[in-house]
Amino acid sequence: MTPSKPIPTPSEDSKPFWEATRNGELRLQRCLDCSSYRFPPGVLCPECSSTSSEWVPVSGRGRVHSFVVFHRAYHPAFANDLPYAVACVELEEGPRLLSNIVGVETARIRCDMAVEVLFEKINEEISLPKFRPRA
Amino acid sequence: MNAALRDKYAIVGVGQSRIGRVPEMSDYGLQLAAVKSALDDAGLKKQDIDGIITHSHLLGAVRVHHQRLAERLGIDTDFGLSVSSGGATSCLMVQLAAAAIEAGFCSTVLCLHGDKGLTRKSGDGHEPVQEFGPEFGMFGATAQHALGATRHMHEYGTTHDQLGAIAVAFRKHACLNPEAQMREPMTLDDYHRSRWVVWPFHLLDCCLVSDGAAAVIVTSAERARDLRQPPVFVMGMGRANNSRGWNYGNHMTELAARESGAKAFRMAGVTPADIDTAQIYDCYSYIVLASLEDYGFCKKGEGGPFVQGGRLELGGALPTNTSGGMLSEGYVEGMLQIVEATRQLRGQCGPRQVPDAQTALVSGNGGNAVCHSTLILRK
Repeated sequence: MTPSKPIPTPSEDSKPFWEATRNGELRLQRCLDCSSYRFPPGVLCPECSSTSSEWVPVSGRGRVHSFVVFHRAYHPAFANDLPYAVACVELEEGPRLLSNIVGVETARIRCDMAVEVLFEKINEEISLPKFRPRA
Repeated sequence: MNAALRDKYAIVGVGQSRIGRVPEMSDYGLQLAAVKSALDDAGLKKQDIDGIITHSHLLGAVRVHHQRLAERLGIDTDFGLSVSSGGATSCLMVQLAAAAIEAGFCSTVLCLHGDKGLTRKSGDGHEPVQEFGPEFGMFGATAQHALGATRHMHEYGTTHDQLGAIAVAFRKHACLNPEAQMREPMTLDDYHRSRWVVWPFHLLDCCLVSDGAAAVIVTSAERARDLRQPPVFVMGMGRANNSRGWNYGNHMTELAARESGAKAFRMAGVTPADIDTAQIYDCYSYIVLASLEDYGFCKKGEGGPFVQGGRLELGGALPTNTSGGMLSEGYVEGMLQIVEATRQLRGQCGPRQVPDAQTALVSGNGGNAVCHSTLILRK
């Protein structure tokens, strides 16, 4: 049997994130008091400690803060993807998240490269936000 | 910790088990070998130990480990604690030992880490990360640290020749250390030819995986004077955590070493120019380069040129990881760095001795790459 890739298990905090990506939308949690965006999701604003927040759509645009290229499969389900890139993407709204850079040879990826989100449907529940170069 | 504690505590005993591939010994077997070796080194009996601090294991995930070790050693203790701050734990345990003695909890503390990292493969003991990583194929410490190296290369033009110079220097030192796991000479070409694990890291940018344990005994400077070995005094102690994470701010390129080091230097009343040998936590070559910058041995961004030209080698301006480090001696999560610094300051290092070493700096870095601890030691 072909091993399957890990599928995210949404937590109480992250459920709205994954509901949004399922609908082809990137949403982040924004503090209702100081307006700062946060990631990863959580009950407390790391800037002002407010417990009031809302989930708002964001641009899906950002830049590659840094990236790596896997040449070794740490999980058998990724063996056929080698070499593949994992990046820390800084969104225009501020927060950074880990994802894949797709649609470009790994050798052409650079730090600070402009990227935009796209969604890869895994199943009826989960779509992963990935990033591709933006002109 | 303020300057009033400078030189008030000392390392009086160090010891280690066999390091490398030791399938015939259990975790506790390795740990007890290290403890016995440290007790013998100090000229202490096990009954003299009234405090014990151990690293609650990454690999074994053993709960209340200090008690299980003391049970097997056959002692009751006034104070016991199992702690976890990843690679920062090593130097932090020595600091906690000094704090516990200062507080009157106990008088002589055994600090220990060790396990069968190489020949026992069980889960890594980390709590499972359910999202925001594994689904993208993001696994392991190598990739996490590699993100930092990529960004450093981008900002400062750091090269593989420079990272390789670190690996080559430490291998030269390991070749002078009969206890080291890797004693085959290595050239910069060998480094470049080693396979990619997670770009930009070659295999030879990554530390070893080892079976092994090491122990360090700490007591008051006053008590230390009556023991078997010349005391190695703790001049400075620092610790800091970039707890907002590796992905946050400039944490990938500016380690918590900056603040941790500043505290340690301030307490010790010395500067980087006063350090005769450095034993840096080298989970990856890049962490050595960034640590040296953040400690102020060179300016930020100049770590690349700084590590070239043999500066980190024996005979260079800053002999670093003189036992081979975790890249070539063995991985005991930073504990062997403390052991080596102690032996250097006692003048016990034979062919790899730094002549007339008076002061040493030791670092620990880990805990998801952002926790840091620093010791400055003197003879």
